[in-house]
Amino acid sequence: MPINYYIFLSLALFCIGIVGVLTRRNAIIIFMCIEIMLNAVNLLLVAFSKMHHLKNAAINATAGTDGQIFVFFIMVVAAAEVSVGLAIIVMMYRNIHSVDVNFLNRLKH
Amino acid sequence: MNALLLSAVLGVVMMFSGIWLKSKSAIRNVAIVGMALLLVVNILEMSGMIFFRIDTKGMIVFDRFALLFDSIAFLSTLLYLFLSAQDIEKVGINYADYFALIFFILCGITLTSSFKSLLILFLGVEIISIPLYILTGSDKRNLKSNEASLKYFLLGSFSTGLMLMGIALIYGDKGSFDTNSINLITETPSALIVAGMLLLLFSMAFKVSAAPFHFWAPDVYDGAPTVFTSFMATIVKAAVFIAFIRLFEEAFGNLQNKWQLLMAIITVATLFIGNITAVFQQSVKRMLAYSSIAQAGFMMLSVYAMNAEAKEGLLLYSAAYSFATIGIFAVLIKMKDYTFDGFNGFAKHQPLLAATTTIFLLSLAGIPLTAGFLAKFYMLKAALGTGKYLWLVIFAVIMAAVSVYYYFRVIQAMYFKEGDPPVLQITPVFKWTLVILAALVILLGIFPNLLLTWYYF
Amino acid sequence: MIHLLQTGLNSADSGSFLPVAVQFIIATGLVAFLMFVTHMLGPKRKTTDKLQNFSSGIETHGDARQPMAIKYFLTAILFVLFDVEVIFFYPYAVNFKVLGWNGFWAVMLFVGFFLCGFIYILKKGALKWEE
Repeated sequence: MPINYYIFLSLALFCIGIVGVLTRRNAIIIFMCIEIMLNAVNLLLVAFSKMHHLKNAAINATAGTDGQIFVFFIMVVAAAEVSVGLAIIVMMYRNIHSVDVNFLNRLKH
Repeated sequence: MNALLLSAVLGVVMMFSGIWLKSKSAIRNVAIVGMALLLVVNILEMSGMIFFRIDTKGMIVFDRFALLFDSIAFLSTLLYLFLSAQDIEKVGINYADYFALIFFILCGITLTSSFKSLLILFLGVEIISIPLYILTGSDKRNLKSNEASLKYFLLGSFSTGLMLMGIALIYGDKGSFDTNSINLITETPSALIVAGMLLLLFSMAFKVSAAPFHFWAPDVYDGAPTVFTSFMATIVKAAVFIAFIRLFEEAFGNLQNKWQLLMAIITVATLFIGNITAVFQQSVKRMLAYSSIAQAGFMMLSVYAMNAEAKEGLLLYSAAYSFATIGIFAVLIKMKDYTFDGFNGFAKHQPLLAATTTIFLLSLAGIPLTAGFLAKFYMLKAALGTGKYLWLVIFAVIMAAVSVYYYFRVIQAMYFKEGDPPVLQITPVFKWTLVILAALVILLGIFPNLLLTWYYF
Repeated sequence: MIHLLQTGLNSADSGSFLPVAVQFIIATGLVAFLMFVTHMLGPKRKTTDKLQNFSSGIETHGDARQPMAIKYFLTAILFVLFDVEVIFFYPYAVNFKVLGWNGFWAVMLFVGFFLCGFIYILKKGALKWEE
């Protein structure tokens, strides 16, 4: 399959994520949209990694593997972000009993 | 490499000191000793004593620029701990954990100042950001703190998403994350490289709160506990600027004529929004938040200019800005009332504190004989050195003049207005550290080479 | 991105997507059709009994949004964190022999830091169920 399909699929996913972040009001759904963005990047990185491997495998046997390693790091960092983010959302919920970001206007003077 | 490993280990040590040590002063002392050790070890590395030699396959390079900035960051943090370590106690019950998070952030700072691979840039930025989300929300019962934390978290991870997309697109074109091999770009960069560079530019502008990506900064800085605002508005911001200039010099240096105009526009917008909005603030804390955006505008000048003077200037600027702002915040924490009127008559009650605060404010405004003046001077000289966009320099000077207004409002309130600010609890250590900070600000304003010789020898 | 568009577009590749597209159209079409038909054909009786939640004939009482113990969140969050960290063992397992002792010590360092985190949450009492 040509690389274009992967690029378009992951850009589409990425844009869905961006639109979701900008339009949704529920903190958890915004959070899920951010995760979609990160996973779109993961998909793209793996596709590029495969592409570079096919292109350069003759010269360098390990060509393209660094893209996949990067995906591992993104996954781990995303997990750390999930745990911190969920903790923040739970803390918020315990105080105001809502996860609606429209409530976030206390700081606007 | 010394500082990188030691800061991570010290973070773990601080985590456990919260469990084993019962007294708060013991925890504080461990943190301060650890911080001093970190500074000493980093300075030893600058003079050639490297304790750990780990083959990172060229992903991390500790050059002089990185090491000198790390030293500035560690020194600032040490002074910050001397001033504000007792105030961290008032934030919440997890006293030792806050110090642990600060050490982890410093670990991230050593990564962002010395990366040679986009992987390390990403990891460093995230290691800085994730503890900051926690520190912002550390005042768990305070709704403003909660809100700031959630806002920072959502927008911060959004910008991380943009950064990752940029990295992925660049990888698609180049097949490598190494900054040197990304920089081997012919005259016409491909669409992937341009899109990736723009996404990286936006996300870095977001992290340093440059306009038009600044909107999170005032709310987050205002909502976070003031002790942590002090840390994140100074040391962390300077560290991300170091990463910014490093990224654009090493990975996109060959494309300078493509992004320079965009960078100039961002600089102008940041200067304008930061300074003009700061004029209308009623709370000193919020004014300092906008002032940090305005100062970010000046630091953007160095990223725009990208020459030898710009790098020297950025180091000087980060030292001058960090020292002055940490000092002002330390005084602000001791106040009960954060409005300008809260400072009325401050000079009569606390002459020493008022005098040092005046020095810090003068430095931020860029009055001669202070470090802030020379730092701004280096920035403008670097921008002139590019030989393009004279209007940018003129605009920056006008904005520096505007900034004098809101900094002098505090001085005016302290010296020329009658009032009775609440009596503060001031320890001798606090006073002496403030005096040392003020002395450093003036010393760097007269002999900037004290700092900059370290860059070359 | 335009040049990428032009490189790999040939008939054989786009043809291989045809079954997927057909499947996709049939799936969405079926769902839309069924939703439409149920609304048209189904009888409508809107009484109070009918509008209540169905819970196997048992009378409902209380609110579903009861406060849940924070321990569940804590355990779930810690699980996510510790579960995903295992990911770094996969590349190590693949290259176990090649990396040799250097790789072993590097992984030991990772596990050591990891263990510190685990001991920390144990000591903090994050995994205690009874208080």
